Amino acid sequence: MPRQLRVVRKSLGLTLLTLLASSAFLRASAPARHWPSAGRFAGVSADTLTMPVVLKNISTVPGTVEVNLSAGPARLALLPGHVTNAYAYNGSVPGPTLEVHEGDHVIIHFHNDLPEPTTIHWHGLHIPAAMDGSPLRPIGAGKRYDYVFTIPRGSAGTYWYHPHPDVRTGYQMAMGLFGAIIVRDPKDPLPASLPEKLLVLSDNRFKPDGSPDISDPNSTQGEIDQENGREGNVLLVNGQLSPVINIRSGETQRWRVINVSAARIYRLAIPGQTLLHVGDDGGLFERPREVNDILLANSERLELLVRGTRPPGSRASLQTLPYDRYDPHTRPESWDVARDLLSLRYVDASSQPSPALPSRMRTVVPIDTTHVLHHRVLVLSQGLINGRTMDMNRVDIRSRLGATEIWQIENVVTMDHPFHLHGFQFQILDRDGVPEPYRSWKDVVNVRKHQTVRVVVRFDDFPGKWMFHCHILDHEDHGMMGILEIQPPRPRRKS
Amino acid sequence: MTISSSIRFRHLIWLAPLGAVLALAAFGPASSSRGVDPGARAQLMLGRSLVLNHDCGGCHGGADPGAPGWLAGMTRPEQEFLIGPCAFNTSAKPCFHTRPRNLTPDNATGLGRFSERQIFNALRFGLRPEDTPDVSITSMTQGKGNFPLHPHYLAPPMPWPGWRYMSDAELRAVAAYLKRGLKPVANKVPDSEGPPDFWASEYTVDKIGRYPAPAFPTTNEMEPK
Repeated sequence: MPRQLRVVRKSLGLTLLTLLASSAFLRASAPARHWPSAGRFAGVSADTLTMPVVLKNISTVPGTVEVNLSAGPARLALLPGHVTNAYAYNGSVPGPTLEVHEGDHVIIHFHNDLPEPTTIHWHGLHIPAAMDGSPLRPIGAGKRYDYVFTIPRGSAGTYWYHPHPDVRTGYQMAMGLFGAIIVRDPKDPLPASLPEKLLVLSDNRFKPDGSPDISDPNSTQGEIDQENGREGNVLLVNGQLSPVINIRSGETQRWRVINVSAARIYRLAIPGQTLLHVGDDGGLFERPREVNDILLANSERLELLVRGTRPPGSRASLQTLPYDRYDPHTRPESWDVARDLLSLRYVDASSQPSPALPSRMRTVVPIDTTHVLHHRVLVLSQGLINGRTMDMNRVDIRSRLGATEIWQIENVVTMDHPFHLHGFQFQILDRDGVPEPYRSWKDVVNVRKHQTVRVVVRFDDFPGKWMFHCHILDHEDHGMMGILEIQPPRPRRKS
Repeated sequence: MTISSSIRFRHLIWLAPLGAVLALAAFGPASSSRGVDPGARAQLMLGRSLVLNHDCGGCHGGADPGAPGWLAGMTRPEQEFLIGPCAFNTSAKPCFHTRPRNLTPDNATGLGRFSERQIFNALRFGLRPEDTPDVSITSMTQGKGNFPLHPHYLAPPMPWPGWRYMSDAELRAVAAYLKRGLKPVANKVPDSEGPPDFWASEYTVDKIGRYPAPAFPTTNEMEPK
């Protein structure tokens, strides 16, 4: 029994152990349950939100998007006002946006200028395994690789790209490597006249010189980061601090929001008004959902319609409200504080009437569950999937092309784990037995503390090895990941 | 009431001679269930005896194996522990509430999703099953022989530092009884709190001694005359 602890069982009101020399408490009180204040960085900026540049298409062939993309060291300000060494795609953070249309043939000439191996994972896209940028296919320092794939029909939505090398994903993303992907549908059911904004939400923690503060894994903060995921105290939108979005009274804007943070889960709200939630990871829903606030776990995306309901001259804020995703051992002290992300500034009244919004946007066909080849249970605990850590030479789940599977993902710990499957979008059937109230295409599902989520997935194409993992980057880098291998169909017997 | 009298008498049962336990296991009632490997049943019976004479139920629920809530974890707030200065002064900090968890094999709320090896590792090394890979641990050095680099320990006052000296066979028997000898009971116990190092600074060799124990006789001991 730990002799240095003072322990009491409340029912007895008495001490079970009484030795007092409690170095324990010094140790326990010192570490940072205290969350560093963002005060030093909280200066309000009047900058309007800028959109990341769009990757230039160098192809003249219709239906082909050919782009150059490099990852390399850069001198820039990850923290506005502090130029430091960073990593960047084509020299900017966030990286340039890859804009494509359904059906496009995409060629990305990638050059790794980093001093270390990397990959690019096209998060959420349904493309061949060799093009997925998984840790199985690292691209060495100084090497080139052409990522070539076709954007599937029906996949219009918001996606993103980021590095996915073995063990170093969290580091490379903290250094600035992430960018958005927008897949457009020529027959988009939402009016093209809606002003569109892209919001890439990232957080980071900085040293006084503005470089990313990445803790020694053996320090107390390092241990907390491994547990919580590295959560930054500085919240950025498209790399900007507290930017402004101008909106006209009466106008409706379409926002695409991506959470590229390593671990932070946002609970987005504009206090005083509701939001129309129209889509998530795999694009639009069948119908809009009116919500007060909405959770956006790391690596998830959403589409919102934001209505300018206030008079000219007024302001509103997009906030992230408190959300307790944490284990009690490492829950930051200030978890229960709402934080502003950006301001909405009402400039004037819209001269145009807002276009009518469709009540039904599209059909999301349910995956047929009459022939399910496998029902699987995946147990998420802290850093482990089914009690194991990642082994690059092991296949954890084997399946076949054409199989429909139901995965029951059970989180057995007191901490949320956003679960991501590469390559295949799935549909959520139920959470703790409660049927999902709407149907959508997902590639990440946040499995809450002690929650069980069932998803259905169909492996309709692309044999090969695919990752599935917790998208808290520190968990992923420490091995909370497994490999799914989809094998080609069995050869038919000749009669 | 004095502090020493606060240790509940039932904890004295920890001192029950192991020999008696082994005898119980060896000569317990024969299996009445058909088709069960008698060796497997004997293992469960050994595990049951160890669970009884180590008073697992004293904290983890149930007065006896026939009582409701047997080993299903705490059910009332007053059954939790306060660890830290708040044991004496309720407003003192830090103050960690630790809670005896559900030891029945319920998947959602108990040990159902942990392997017998993970339970063994919890009893032998104090490692939280949900934070520790399901592997054989062959070293007591952090980062070696599958011992975690950053071990996460069970919350106090779980007395694993003493109980780890049980033999492999005994600890396996306890794990077997919990996983295969109990019916699952759904009882969600809120997770224990603790410092961010998951008590690692408490469970150092200096504080809890060596495993395995040094060979007999040490300087404090002598061969019987």
